[in-house]
Amino acid sequence: MKIRFRRLTQIGIALFALLFLRLGYLQVLRGVRYARLSDRNRIRRIVLPAPRGKIFDRNGVLLADTRPSWTVAVIPTETNDSALTLLSTILNQPVEDIKRRLEPIAAFPAPVNICRDVPLKTVAQIEENNFRLPGVLVRVDPVRNYPYRNLYAHSIGYLGEITEEELSRDTSYRRLDYIGKTGIEAKYERYLRGRDGFEFVEVDVRGREIGPLLEKRPEPPIPGKDIHLTIDHRLQSLAYELTAKYERAAVVGILVKTGEVLCLVSRPDFDPNIFLSPLNAARWESLVFNPSKPFFNRAISSGYPPGSTFKPLVALLAQELGLVTPQTTLLPCSGVFRYGNRDFKCWSRHGRLNLLGAIEQSCNTYFYQLGMRIRVDTLASFCERFGLGRTTGIDIPGEGTGNIPSRDFLNRRYGKGKWTQGVMLNFAIGQGEILLTPLQLALAYAGIANNGFYYQPRLVSHIDSAGRTILCPGGERFVIPLQQEAINAVKRALTRVVLYGTGRAAQIQEITIAGKTGTAQNPPRPDHALFVGYAPAEEPEVVFAVVCENAGHGGAVAAPIVSELVRAYFANKTGQ
Amino acid sequence: MKRLDFTLIVTLILLLTIGLLAIYSSAGIRYLLRQLIFLPVGIAGLLIAFLAPRRFIYGLADILYALTLILLIAVLFVGTGPGARRWFGIGSFTFQPSELAKITTVLMLAKYLGYRREIRFNFKSLAGPILLVLAPILLILAEPDLSTALIFLPAFAAMLYWQGLRPLYILLLFMPLFSFAAGFSLYLWVPFFIILAVIVFIRLRLFRAILALGVGSVFGLLSPVVLSMLKDYQRARIIGFFAPWFDPHGMGWNAIQSQIAIGSGRILGKGYLRGTQKRLGFLPNRHTDFIFSAIAEEFGLLGCLVLLSLFALLIYRILRTAYQTRDQNGALICIGLGTMIGYQTFVNIAMLLGLLPITGIPLPFISYGGSSLFASMVMLGLVLNVASKPE
Repeated sequence: MKIRFRRLTQIGIALFALLFLRLGYLQVLRGVRYARLSDRNRIRRIVLPAPRGKIFDRNGVLLADTRPSWTVAVIPTETNDSALTLLSTILNQPVEDIKRRLEPIAAFPAPVNICRDVPLKTVAQIEENNFRLPGVLVRVDPVRNYPYRNLYAHSIGYLGEITEEELSRDTSYRRLDYIGKTGIEAKYERYLRGRDGFEFVEVDVRGREIGPLLEKRPEPPIPGKDIHLTIDHRLQSLAYELTAKYERAAVVGILVKTGEVLCLVSRPDFDPNIFLSPLNAARWESLVFNPSKPFFNRAISSGYPPGSTFKPLVALLAQELGLVTPQTTLLPCSGVFRYGNRDFKCWSRHGRLNLLGAIEQSCNTYFYQLGMRIRVDTLASFCERFGLGRTTGIDIPGEGTGNIPSRDFLNRRYGKGKWTQGVMLNFAIGQGEILLTPLQLALAYAGIANNGFYYQPRLVSHIDSAGRTILCPGGERFVIPLQQEAINAVKRALTRVVLYGTGRAAQIQEITIAGKTGTAQNPPRPDHALFVGYAPAEEPEVVFAVVCENAGHGGAVAAPIVSELVRAYFANKTGQ
Repeated sequence: MKRLDFTLIVTLILLLTIGLLAIYSSAGIRYLLRQLIFLPVGIAGLLIAFLAPRRFIYGLADILYALTLILLIAVLFVGTGPGARRWFGIGSFTFQPSELAKITTVLMLAKYLGYRREIRFNFKSLAGPILLVLAPILLILAEPDLSTALIFLPAFAAMLYWQGLRPLYILLLFMPLFSFAAGFSLYLWVPFFIILAVIVFIRLRLFRAILALGVGSVFGLLSPVVLSMLKDYQRARIIGFFAPWFDPHGMGWNAIQSQIAIGSGRILGKGYLRGTQKRLGFLPNRHTDFIFSAIAEEFGLLGCLVLLSLFALLIYRILRTAYQTRDQNGALICIGLGTMIGYQTFVNIAMLLGLLPITGIPLPFISYGGSSLFASMVMLGLVLNVASKPE
């Protein structure tokens, strides 16, 4: 016992001696220095912001990077009211706004950003008045830069100042930090963000920095990871140009064999750069109160009636149910179909057509007759196989589900028993309550082109850290149970649509395109023009879905856009 | 009539007085008054622990231990606390069951180990005590509260040592844990492994040495695997626990402020109520975990010397009680509790001095807080009880 008691006592004495030695070191050897530092607490913590990860397109085109910008910051403990008043006139910002920003951190001797991206003129003004602005400093901070401005507003998204709510969710952020709000910037925030570094500096009585604090080594910032998108910048630019004359439009392009998104356009749009510098109120209001909602990502969020682009799906289902074969003819089209006491119109008088002809000529009458024989829930569950009526799982936030009306939906909407099988006549031609997002439309056609499977769409190809790939998210594969003969028939019909039917405007010399036009009614406003097509028809690689709101006929408006995109896609491919 | 260890009593009174003065200086009258409300509760706890017949306490050890485990489980479901479930809220006061667990686990371990004359390094001998100490540790880790969970380990090691287990074996017993903790970074793990290899090849037979190294490697390799299975934020949290110096935000600032406060106190201190660092609000939690910095700033090296001496004397008297008593169970209790108080004191001060990473651990008898004070007082009551007479 004695030896153990002695040993434990010795350990205790050794540990306490260690504490005492360290105390002596801090309080005697370094005491003078620490007393000086504590005298007016003359150390300052400087945050070294981490540059955000870059974003590239699939060919290495830089879509988002960081640029240096002048930032005005204030150290709350070192400034005074007259300095803030002067600063507010220089920055043209109400003094209350500045004070409100300082308030939560008022006791901290660290700089608080007041205004980012100030022009050089303002910087000069602040430097001139240096002596009247204690605690005010100008620094160079990295700020996000989107060189192509509006072009990627909806896919890459934008950054904004962190909100109180976001702050309380993740305490590793600081007030006034920028955080991804939408798109890739939001979804991959944790990769892009990097980690801020910091350093402690000693300052003199007048607040000027003397040098780094020896006791604390600076931590360099860790830059964010670089993200490579599946987007093809050339296609994206082209799709953007081609839709320029339409107020509201959406384009989605997907590689059918991988689910990689080649282009994603939503009009109208906005310049994501504007959130990174002091915002002009008029400009902000023009965006927020724009009735066309520029922030709304039509390509993935907006549900459109698919119109005739929906007919191939109905054709697939009708064959599966054994209602028709590709050669089956039904009652001839006289331009109008009577059901109950209502007239349902076709856009032309097609006469006698079989299923293939009905798709090719987009004959409503033929599909009205199929609709009469398909139950609402049968159609709904068939659509489910294609992933319609729910989100596709694309890797940016804000996706819409569209709407596939089921019996329950109709009961809720019209009241139980207040609707009839007549609704199916409209559903069979893609009108009524059926709503699909352009992305869903593209995926459904990818499923047809691929003979019954599609991939979860994605925008990110891989993520790099210091030149090394660290993440390569592969899309999930979905199988749609379908009969191969039915698919073959529909694919034949879709090829004929472009060769001889309503989609002739999509024809190009080099490559066979298959697809379907749609002209979705949107009373009382003009029709939406749609076209969904894939190419080459024989061995599909790429699918495009185009929607131009209130722009007229799908064949005239949307089909040429797809043909241009297909041409560009294959031109780029051979050019590589 | 029980005899009192007056040295212990006087030391305790001095420590409590310093604590109250420091709380008033760093946090003001409101916290002083609240601490003054806790004080009688603590004194009552001390008196009960002191006056209760020891046989009665030993007999109750199993029940108290079981009760503690139940409380630790319950707190995971109904507990409160910022980001963790550690406290039971009772009105505006809170109670932390892990503080209670410190005492009851030592009581239980003392009872279990005390029954055996000698303890050997084999499964049969060690499985029981390891399970007894692991249960509260795992439950406290689940809260999560790593720094409190770690307090159990030195106490356990000291009790095993007191019962005759050789230091080498104690090292081997804790080796998997060290290896796991070091495994978070290769720079820590490689030196750890080299030292381990040297020790085991000198002191153990070849087969056993290889076995020991094998077990060590497995646990070392396990931690990166565990880390990679976790989500990003969980990983950040774990690394934050094991290696807070990796986290540049917050921690670095507090540590630096604490060192400036301590260093600027110099030899004689700035004088009571004259500390500038704490007044400016730079010291976070200045009345709880950081209270020593405030004392060091105002009373300087001399004041710290007095405080450290008081703690050293307190712990020495506790160990001496273990040495002098003929009650083996009581001796083990003193060793366990003395180690806990000593460990907490050392870790709390060492982290403020920049010797250890900063994690939340209060300074016994000094820091503001009811649960901590109560537990420390009961601990001392038990020691006084053992010291009072042979049983």
